[in-house]
Amino acid sequence: MDTSNPALFVNAELLRMHVGRRVRAVIQVLRSDGGGSVVGNSTDGQQLVIKGHPPGPLSTFVEVIGIADSNQSIRADIWNNFGDVLDTASYNVVCQLANGDYKHLFI
Amino acid sequence: MMFESSQFDGTGGFVSSLSSQSTDPSPTSAKSRDNQPMFPVTVKQIIEATPSTDDKSTFIIDGVDVYNVVTDVSFVIDDGTGRIGCKRWVNDSQDTKEVEGLMDGLYVRIHGHLKTFQGKKQLVVYAIRPVTDYNEIAHHFLECIHSHCCNSKLQRNGSAPNPASSVVSTPSVHQAVSSSQLSQEYNLDGLGSIDKMILDYLEQPSSLTQEKGIHRNEIAQKLKVPQEKILEAMESLESEGMVYSTIDEFHYKSTNA
Repeated sequence: MDTSNPALFVNAELLRMHVGRRVRAVIQVLRSDGGGSVVGNSTDGQQLVIKGHPPGPLSTFVEVIGIADSNQSIRADIWNNFGDVLDTASYNVVCQLANGDYKHLFI
Repeated sequence: MMFESSQFDGTGGFVSSLSSQSTDPSPTSAKSRDNQPMFPVTVKQIIEATPSTDDKSTFIIDGVDVYNVVTDVSFVIDDGTGRIGCKRWVNDSQDTKEVEGLMDGLYVRIHGHLKTFQGKKQLVVYAIRPVTDYNEIAHHFLECIHSHCCNSKLQRNGSAPNPASSVVSTPSVHQAVSSSQLSQEYNLDGLGSIDKMILDYLEQPSSLTQEKGIHRNEIAQKLKVPQEKILEAMESLESEGMVYSTIDEFHYKSTNA
C-alpha cells in the first residue's frame, strides 16, 4: 500500500502546470494520426495530443494516463475507453477541485 | 472509498452521519448489511488515516485493478491517488462470478472493510463489480470531496469529537458525529416534496420505534407514491445523509432519530 505513482487529474489548462509529471486526462477523440498519436479535446475544450499506441480501437471518450511531456501533450502508457457518452463537465470539475482546494485528498 | 466512523468514536455512541452508499454492487437482492455508515474516500485518504483501536471501516472505492493473483483472490487497486492491496474471500458461486471478470486495467467499484495487518493497511472486499458507466468515476471523486466537506464542517462546528480520534492532520473522514447535531447542519430547502413526505413519515413516532426501519414498499403504499419515485427519493435522501438503510437495502430509517 503506497501512494507511489499517483496521477494528477488534469485538463488542458492544468496540464501546463504539471509538465514532466504523471497525469491523467479524459479526452474526446478527434482523430488518430496512426503514427503513434491521437488528437483529442480535453474536458475544458482544448486540443491535446496524446502520444503512444492505444491497445485497441478507441471509443469517443478515452482516459489516458501518462507523463505530461509538454503544455499540450501527454505521453500515455495507459488508455481506458470511457465509452461514447460521458459528462465531461463533471470530470472537468473533478480536475479543478483535485488541483485546488481538495488537493490533499488526491496527491 | 468509504469509511464508517464507528471505530473512531471513543464514547461508543453515535448514529450514522453520512449514510450508506446507495449503489448496491451485488446482483442479488436484499443482502443484509450492518447498520453502518459508509464514506467515499480516495486511497490517499485511507493511507493517511490514523489507525485506531478496532479497525472495521466500511468503504467504497473506484479504482483500476492492477494485478490479479488467482489464489485467494488478492489484487491491488490504484485509483490515481495511491495503491492498496485488497483481498476478496470467495465463499460461494456468486462470489466466484464476481471475481471471474476481474483483469488488469479494469475499473471496479469495491465495497469492503479496512483492516490493518502487520502494520499494513489492506482492504477486505465484500463486494466488487466492474464499472460500466464511466461517469461513476467523476461522481465517486466528487462524492469523496463532498463527504470530506461535510465531515470537516461538522468537525469545525464543534460536534463532540473524541480527542483521540480527531488527529488533525488527517482529512476528517474519521470524525464521530452525534446525529442530533447532524440534523441541524442540513437544511431541508433542497429537498423535493416527496423527499419531505418520506422524511415526515419516517419521523413519525410509530416509524421511529421500529428498530429495523420501514420497508420502502410500505412507504410507497402509505404515501400513495409510485415505487420508482420512492426509490429515487430514497437514494437522494440517503446520499444527503437524511436516511440510512438498516437490515437490508429496502428498509430505511431517518437519521434524525
